[in-house]
Amino acid sequence: MEVYENTLNLAMQIQVLSMNKYLIEYAINSILRQKSKNIFIFIVFTLLIFLLTSIFFITNSIKYELNSTVNSLPQIIVQNYKGGRHYDIEISKVDKILSISGVQESVARVWGYYYFENADVHFTLVGIDMFENQYKKSLTHLTQISSFDESSMYLGRGVKKLMYKNYYKNYFNFIKPNGTVKKIDIAGVFNSDIELESNDMIVMSKENLREIFALKENMATDIVVKVSNPNEIDTIALKIKEIIPTARVITNEDIKVSYEHLFNYKSGIFLALFIISLFTFFIIIYDKASGLSSEEKHEVGILKAIGWRVEDILQEKFYESFIISFFSYLLGVIFAFAFVYLFEAPLIRDIFIGYSNLKPSFSLSFIMDFQTLFLVFLLSVPIYIASIIIPSWRVATLDADEVIR
Amino acid sequence: MNKKSKYLFITFISLSVILFLEVIYLQIFNTMNDSDLVQKNMFVKTVGLPDLAISTETSYIRHRSLSDIFSIYSVDGSLREYSKSSYANTSLINE
Repeated sequence: MEVYENTLNLAMQIQVLSMNKYLIEYAINSILRQKSKNIFIFIVFTLLIFLLTSIFFITNSIKYELNSTVNSLPQIIVQNYKGGRHYDIEISKVDKILSISGVQESVARVWGYYYFENADVHFTLVGIDMFENQYKKSLTHLTQISSFDESSMYLGRGVKKLMYKNYYKNYFNFIKPNGTVKKIDIAGVFNSDIELESNDMIVMSKENLREIFALKENMATDIVVKVSNPNEIDTIALKIKEIIPTARVITNEDIKVSYEHLFNYKSGIFLALFIISLFTFFIIIYDKASGLSSEEKHEVGILKAIGWRVEDILQEKFYESFIISFFSYLLGVIFAFAFVYLFEAPLIRDIFIGYSNLKPSFSLSFIMDFQTLFLVFLLSVPIYIASIIIPSWRVATLDADEVIR
Repeated sequence: MNKKSKYLFITFISLSVILFLEVIYLQIFNTMNDSDLVQKNMFVKTVGLPDLAISTETSYIRHRSLSDIFSIYSVDGSLREYSKSSYANTSLINE
């Protein structure tokens, strides 16, 4: 009995399939009959999906890039504020912070920005303790040079390019606040693999940097704190705030939250793009849902008159809309992948990288994000199919006689 | 199956194959590998500064996570949304 039922089911499925085949053929012919209109919808739809997915891919990759390094950042950063602005912090505060139980390490940092007028750019200058083996090791690894020079500096690729353009090939003259010049040799350039992080960076010894910024011996830019137990970070941040009331204490968690906010929908440009694309899409839907043309109504009427059932008409309309929307989706996604990851998103890239002359190459890491693909699919294909099927259903439920007339 | 259906089927298969091959290619050549990840983390640990060097025009955009609502005024109070990248790197003032 069970075998009989299975065979019957299979036979029915085959019958449905064979039925589908003719309906598909009819749907293709129907698409081709209104060639210009359907080609236009196909192009607009493909562009819309392409734009949406491209933006999603870029933001996802940037978020991934940021999140993959967030755990290497200091657990707590203590900045000093004076008159509502960031100000240098006294190095003596380091010992005060170290006295808090649970603090494993507290280090005063020297870093800042240097404005290079010739090229109208800001370099980020970071001072490190060159004598520390750990830094020596990482710097030689990151720049792939064999000899290590403590009095020289290490540059990001963008900085190197700009200096080269301005005829600083082996050294650079930093202008100090008192008007004199500090000449520092270029020791190495950071690998291109870390260009997104290091493009505008210059790393040198703390002593050299103090001289360039004219920073007093007892002062530093900020203090970083390492905590033994990560669960105590918030408590220790509060205690630091108690010791230095004017300080701004940034925890690693704050930076994670900041990263989350960085490329979210609040960001105006994406919102604008979304509104434009959704608006365009709603226009298409509105156009479709506001009723079929008299020609299309006539067609449905004739089909009903020659014996088509409502289900057949709806099925045919489903195939018709599915072919257009799904092919647009596939093509849009293919283009978006190539556009973002192979061609480095020309034009759209400019929204993300700003106007500064220090632009890194926009080679983003590829992430296979099924969630985004599924989201875009849901936003596009089912809505389009619904916008075709609902008006057709309205017409198909009317009497054939009434529709043809 | 008539000619048109065949073409449709062939186009569908070709697009699917292109997408599949594209994903495979990107997975092999454009994914962040372990050595990249190690280097990036090593660099971030060395300099200890957050954010990417994609918008470098001003300090509050470059290290946005370290800037506060007043940083924007140290450049110019009237220059709130003066660059297109500031839309992407929205200031904390908007939150």
